[in-house]
Amino acid sequence: MHPEKPKHDFEPKIIAFVCTWCTYAGADLAGTSRMQYPPNVRVLKFPCTGRIDPVFILKAFQQGADGVLVSGCHPGDCHYIAGNFHARRRFAAFRKLLEFVGVDLNRLQFSWVSAAEGGKWVEVVTELTEKVRSMGPMVEFKELALEEQWSGAIDTPELKEAYEQI
Amino acid sequence: MTQPIDTSIYAAVTAAIQGEAKRILSEGQVTAIVGYAAARRKGSAQPIVISQPDDAQKLIFTPACVNNLAVYLTKAKKEIPKTGKIGIVVKGCDLKALAGLMGESQLKRENLYLIGVPCAGVLGSTIQPDTELTSDSIAPKCTECNERMPPECDFVPAVQVPVNQGLEKKYAAEIARLEALTPQERWAYWKEQFSKCIKCYACRQVCPFCFCEQCLCDRNKPQMVETTPRPAGNFAWHIVRAMHLAGRCAGCAECERVCPMDIPLNLLNRKMAKELKELFEHEAGFEVQEKGPLNSFTDKDDQSFIK
Amino acid sequence: MSRIGVFICHCGENISRTVDVERVAAQVGKLPGVAFSTDYKYMCSDPGQNLLKKAIQEQKLSHIVVAACSPRMHERTFRKAVEAAGLNPFLCEMANIREHCSWVHEDKEEATAKAIEIVGMMVERVKKNRVLPTITVPVTKRSLVIGGGIAGIQAALDIADCGHEVILVEREPSIGGHMAQLSETFPTLDCSQCIMTPKMVDVANHPKITLYTWSEVELVEGYIGNFQVTIRRKARSVDEDKCTGCGVCMEKCPIKKIPNKFDCNLGMRPAIYVPFPQAVPNTPVIDRANCTKFKTGKCGLCQKVCGPGAIDYEQEDTLVVEPVGAIVVATGFDLYTIDEKPKGSAIKGYGEFGHGKIPDVIDGMTFERLASASGPTGGKILRPSDGKEPKQIVFIQCIGSRAREKGISYCSKVCCMYTAKHTMLYHHKVHDGQAYVFFMDARTPGKNYDEFWRRSIEEEEAVYIRGMVSRLYQKGDKIVVMGSDIAVGVQVEIEADMVVLATAVQPQKGADSLAQKLGISYDKYNFYSEAHAKLRPVECATAGIYLAGACQGPKDIPDAVSQASAAAAKVMTLFAKDKLEREPIVARVKEGGCVGCFACKKVCAYGAVEEKEIRDRQGNLIKVVAYVNPGVCGGCGTCQATCPSKSVELDGYTDEQIVAMIEAL
Repeated sequence: MHPEKPKHDFEPKIIAFVCTWCTYAGADLAGTSRMQYPPNVRVLKFPCTGRIDPVFILKAFQQGADGVLVSGCHPGDCHYIAGNFHARRRFAAFRKLLEFVGVDLNRLQFSWVSAAEGGKWVEVVTELTEKVRSMGPMVEFKELALEEQWSGAIDTPELKEAYEQI
Repeated sequence: MTQPIDTSIYAAVTAAIQGEAKRILSEGQVTAIVGYAAARRKGSAQPIVISQPDDAQKLIFTPACVNNLAVYLTKAKKEIPKTGKIGIVVKGCDLKALAGLMGESQLKRENLYLIGVPCAGVLGSTIQPDTELTSDSIAPKCTECNERMPPECDFVPAVQVPVNQGLEKKYAAEIARLEALTPQERWAYWKEQFSKCIKCYACRQVCPFCFCEQCLCDRNKPQMVETTPRPAGNFAWHIVRAMHLAGRCAGCAECERVCPMDIPLNLLNRKMAKELKELFEHEAGFEVQEKGPLNSFTDKDDQSFIK
Repeated sequence: MSRIGVFICHCGENISRTVDVERVAAQVGKLPGVAFSTDYKYMCSDPGQNLLKKAIQEQKLSHIVVAACSPRMHERTFRKAVEAAGLNPFLCEMANIREHCSWVHEDKEEATAKAIEIVGMMVERVKKNRVLPTITVPVTKRSLVIGGGIAGIQAALDIADCGHEVILVEREPSIGGHMAQLSETFPTLDCSQCIMTPKMVDVANHPKITLYTWSEVELVEGYIGNFQVTIRRKARSVDEDKCTGCGVCMEKCPIKKIPNKFDCNLGMRPAIYVPFPQAVPNTPVIDRANCTKFKTGKCGLCQKVCGPGAIDYEQEDTLVVEPVGAIVVATGFDLYTIDEKPKGSAIKGYGEFGHGKIPDVIDGMTFERLASASGPTGGKILRPSDGKEPKQIVFIQCIGSRAREKGISYCSKVCCMYTAKHTMLYHHKVHDGQAYVFFMDARTPGKNYDEFWRRSIEEEEAVYIRGMVSRLYQKGDKIVVMGSDIAVGVQVEIEADMVVLATAVQPQKGADSLAQKLGISYDKYNFYSEAHAKLRPVECATAGIYLAGACQGPKDIPDAVSQASAAAAKVMTLFAKDKLEREPIVARVKEGGCVGCFACKKVCAYGAVEEKEIRDRQGNLIKVVAYVNPGVCGGCGTCQATCPSKSVELDGYTDEQIVAMIEAL
């Protein structure tokens, strides 16, 4: 049917946290306009970006997401007055924290997509999918999840000695 | 090069604290005072709660008075403030924690009698208590301290704090070093650090701001954060901890001091403090703030990271 | 144990063309907890809904997932169907496999795999859904209207005409507001008093309206449907019930030379006065600061001459408490004054225009009083300084408005039109006079507005000069106006007899403190903020409080009246039911875990979070926790994301539900 469609060795898992009023509606519009985009994204609907807890992003990575998208209403358009303003601050801080502990921020995308921006939704999702696909799987959290027990190096002589005596 | 730090004022500070404590206890201005007393090991100090004027002589201030006593007014020791107005001995860094707690409705200023301590610095967490205070033995947080005289206290001993010149800012240097690494290298660094964690939660226990009665990380419906001391769970715990303290941490570095595995926990807190200052011009201070940086906003906040 | 039913819709071929719906049904059927799964051509059709209802009953299903179009399309449909079958509607979720799947992908294999995952995610979510009962809040069907200008009057009349009681509070001795001060109104030039005073009388005579003039709102407690408003009725020194409004007291009052604020201080009034003859109520008030009786204890003439014995020097302020269900705020505007600037104000004055220093430099409202037939000059345009008729008059627009560097960046909206009107009124009254207007640009959107403005130039001979005035100064009995005409590129100097400044429209003084009492938000100029600039322009973010007129932003009369009627319609919508019903997607505090840091309160845009004391049986305070008022909560969930211990939870979007979805991936 689509012989030109390239096959990839790796298909990333992308999780999108979106608000119901703008970005979810924007994604709906992409659908009603029959725009096409990669099928890698799974959408989780929230009332507002203000509801999105940073822990969910962490949890998504731990559950094997290779990329995470957070998207909501443009500033000033929030259905709940100011939820997106609070989210903007929260995520500005959180992404700095993730960056500091070594998460590649190319895997974490934030966007404002309005209910009228079906095209922007397609663009954002496609771009993130392609970027993450070229980066390969998010191995850091997956490897971490596979490690059992204390993996800290026994790097002092006295610890080593004590360990060997056990 | 090691340079000595002048702590000659500490004797006068101790005397002044004792005098003031005796006065306010005997006048009945406070029902109890949380302060420092000598502990058993030579040169060491420990927190103490006194309620008798005669016990005022037990109070001391030395470079070994490392604890942030603010933690004794919240959490497990909640019954202490209930007895009435409480006196508390505070260093500048501890006072910031108190200001934060007042902003979060955990304490009321009118219920406290603040005995401020002019402080030239305290000892680092791995240093023996009777060690002389020098640029090497000083706690890293003290190398970055700008407020050696706690303001707006009910009582501050009238002494001049000697100025320490040119101490290397240890956290700033370490943060800069880590920031210069690649994400992979940083991940490796923190993976190594966090995998040492034994989930003893001493960091949580000692933190004045971890005052939740039920920690998010202990919940199992749903389990937001894995509770076992596996690397994955450790990693999640430390990220959640740093995020929950962002914009609130007053920089007392108690988490780092009590960590039995020597994880540089305050690095995360300092990094977040640095970012919040750059992003939102927020800094932990002595003034009680109505809202913190992460529960307020302006319509002009940075959104360069949002597509 | 949940018995989940999953219903996969083909949507004709819209879904089944790219998604193998049978395979989805089969795969999802294997998930733990799923008791029943099927596919059907059109789930939203009657037979489709019946299939759903029948399956719920026959299969004893406990939770439902409908995999079909977007929940924005049919969530309500299916939740209704589920409710009809006896389940709580919030136990039904939709999986969006059309807009988010079949319509945006072409590869059937990929789309089917994605659909299975989407449905699986919703199955895990619905397991954690809880029964949510509809929330009802009782509604007191009385409303408060604050401000008795045209907006407040219109709102009060509309609500009262619907049969609901209205309390109308006005700070001044009479209702009428600024509209009562105007001479004639654009774009029709009908007399303002002629259209305004009948409405004022309607208010006074309306059996459903309680009018409190010379009164102010002191305290507002409660929430939508259930406000308790304390109103301070300032001492009038005249018993409103006894006074017949005969006016003898005003005639006899020996103190006669007090500048009347209503006449922009051009006319004089006695110490016992009504601000203007058509005042409603027609009950005088004693200006205690200027009354001899209050100053020295002597006089008392008004009491002696008052037939009904209505004068009461002993009267004191009284407080009345009114329970109301809705509040309309219509506090209106005030004009920017150039001479008085509060210390520390961001707004800088226009010292260069000499307002307050040169007597013949007046503002637009003063001109209205001069032009008004009932004004201090009986409708003659006369200079305040010497009473001469000005033969050259200069109008300057945008004084204060649209001047960022002076502190106000907005357009005051009405000045272009009223200046055009002023030039006409002037031309009608001073036939040999010449009017000049300095303007930046003319803003005349509105029905018949531009035609009106053009008329002032083409028929009424006003000379419009595009450019600003740099300076004006008194020279003998003339005022020299120096400006530039940027259209021609020359400097202009006009020797005027009188200058009228179109000063900016600002919110009433004290607008900010009233907002704080009401718990509504306001912008940096103190204009009140609507909940949504486009879609909710008359509602405040605080539920149950509505805005009308210029308190929200500069407005002309038709705009203010429209908004007032819109606000009244909103109030009537609220009053249409005995109880306010709302979707139960609200935040709830788990008091056991709450430590009372009130981060939730800090982020709540609706002011829905209150402080609640928890006491033991002896009445000892155990702790103070947060409480979310379900009538006020907007349901955004920002509080939950902010709460460190997650002790506040948004029903319908709980952490359990969301984590279940993430873990299903």
